[in-house]
Amino acid sequence: MKVLVIEDEKELSDSICTYLANEQFVCERALDFHSAIEKISLYDYACIILDVNLPGGSGLDVLNELKSGNKMDGVLIISARNSLDDKVFALKAGADDYLTKPFYLPELSARVAAIIRRKSFEGKNQVSFNELNLDLTEKTVRINDKLVDLTRKEYELLIYFISNKNRVITKNAIAEHLWGDNMDLADNYDFIYTHIKNLRKKLIQAGCTDYIKSIYGMGYKFSV
Amino acid sequence: MRLFTKYNRINLIATIVIFLTASVSFYISIRYILIGQVDEDLKIEQREIQTYVKEHGILPEPITVKDQKISYAPATELAEKRKFKTSTVYDSTAKEQNPFRILQFGINAGGKLYDVDVEKSLEGTDDLINSILLITFITILLILVASLVINRVLLKRLWKPFYNTLKTVQNFKLDKKQSLHFPATKIDEFVFMNQILEKTTSQAQQDYLLLKEFTENASHEMQTPLAIIRSKLDLLIQDENLSENQSKTVQSSYQAIEKLSRLNQSLLLLTKIENNQYAETVLVNLKQKTEEKIFAFQELWQNQNISVSVSLEEVFINMNNELADILLNNLFSNATRHNFAQGFIRVELSGKQLNITNSSSQKKLDEHRLFTRFYKQAEGEGYNGLGLSIIKQICGVSGFTIRYSFTDQQHSFTVSWV
Repeated sequence: MKVLVIEDEKELSDSICTYLANEQFVCERALDFHSAIEKISLYDYACIILDVNLPGGSGLDVLNELKSGNKMDGVLIISARNSLDDKVFALKAGADDYLTKPFYLPELSARVAAIIRRKSFEGKNQVSFNELNLDLTEKTVRINDKLVDLTRKEYELLIYFISNKNRVITKNAIAEHLWGDNMDLADNYDFIYTHIKNLRKKLIQAGCTDYIKSIYGMGYKFSV
Repeated sequence: MRLFTKYNRINLIATIVIFLTASVSFYISIRYILIGQVDEDLKIEQREIQTYVKEHGILPEPITVKDQKISYAPATELAEKRKFKTSTVYDSTAKEQNPFRILQFGINAGGKLYDVDVEKSLEGTDDLINSILLITFITILLILVASLVINRVLLKRLWKPFYNTLKTVQNFKLDKKQSLHFPATKIDEFVFMNQILEKTTSQAQQDYLLLKEFTENASHEMQTPLAIIRSKLDLLIQDENLSENQSKTVQSSYQAIEKLSRLNQSLLLLTKIENNQYAETVLVNLKQKTEEKIFAFQELWQNQNISVSVSLEEVFINMNNELADILLNNLFSNATRHNFAQGFIRVELSGKQLNITNSSSQKKLDEHRLFTRFYKQAEGEGYNGLGLSIIKQICGVSGFTIRYSFTDQQHSFTVSWV
């Protein structure tokens, strides 16, 4: 699956591509407005990661160009502007999601995966992974066809892990994913531990391999 | 006091004083002239009597004509000088006291000495003065009334453009992209004022936009390097070959970047609130919003065994929706962060105020510095000390007041909007 990263900051663009490359994504890059327009007119992408401030034009114009060309590419806006107005405006203009800089790469990866799922599954909205089977419409998890009873947070956590397989995810990134960035609790991430512990316990009890590894001091990893 | 009233008051007093002074001097001068006239007549009478005495050697027969009486009285010595005086004399014909002007002089008639009194009635003169005064008084009154009415009507009309301008300026909002349009006026002063106001407000608007732009640019410029650093660290921790030491170093950098980006966001938020970029208000269902927040925080509280007691009333308040979220988030975050395991949090929402009380092992906060930026009770804690200034700032722009109180190891913050 091809992903286009439209971001003028080369270093950030590099990081995004490096991170996404391991998720079976083929990453292409555009560093300015004109090359972005050229790329979207020539190819179709599963998802486009789009910065709003671009040299040569606005990212929102790229979005308009996409929409007027009736392209089905999913669009994730990444922007330093964090006001609600900007978000609403971008979503109304046809973007699928909006992420404020600075973001966590696992968060970006999870959002891209979600957009691609929404765009491509069309109805049979399921994610399967070894013995795990997730129904995204009903928000249920089955292990070897047996239903596992997870809380909403545990379910979200599991999808987040699956979208970032074999990656170390920091506690900060997990906290922000589950609670949003408004909860300013600084270094106190103890409460995450409870959720991870419960999730692991439920999965193992249902006969699932223990995929979730704790990486000391850093966070967690869903290793396959 | 309104300008009209002040002006009218001064005008009225000045007019009355001037008219009174004028009337008094008018009265005095008319009286002086008229009495001078009467005195001339009396002198003529004196000369006639003297001429008669010189020719005939005897006093003339006193003829009492209307308004004039002559009387003689024998005297022991000859009065040297003539004397004028005014007095009231009983008039037997009119049967009333009447003012008279009297001329007294001495005369020698055939060797006999006499005092002669020539009296002339001042009744006519007084009548004249009275009617003149009456006319003057009525004129003054008419002029006063007329000027009052004219002033009132005219001033109101003259000042109309001024009030129009005031109304326009009153409706002016810096963050709304509207330039001021004043109704046209022909008065130079008002045209000048409107021009200056138009220029100043559009300048202020321009400055405001520049500032806003600066805030946005600063946000962008800061967030991008932060995003790069964080993304690089996210990649770095994936490296399985990191030594324990390297791993610790990366962790420290990661936490520092977290703090920095939070700090940047908080500072930007403060700037934005100060720049009035959250001016748009809606009717916020505070009860519902508080319930949502309590639900979101519930897990954290359960995790620390913090008990929560909630009493909420249905309240709708006018404020910015985003700010309402941030306000509640900050209040709840504070109550959680400065709490301890097995502690409690009490949330009370009434029609007038929202009170959040939490147990804490920390001592009372410094009431004077509490809301200043970067105030921390203890150094090196995980928070940046901007939370309370953000709360204060939000209360400020929303027209609320925030109060802090401390009793029995309980910190309590009360936001009131009435």
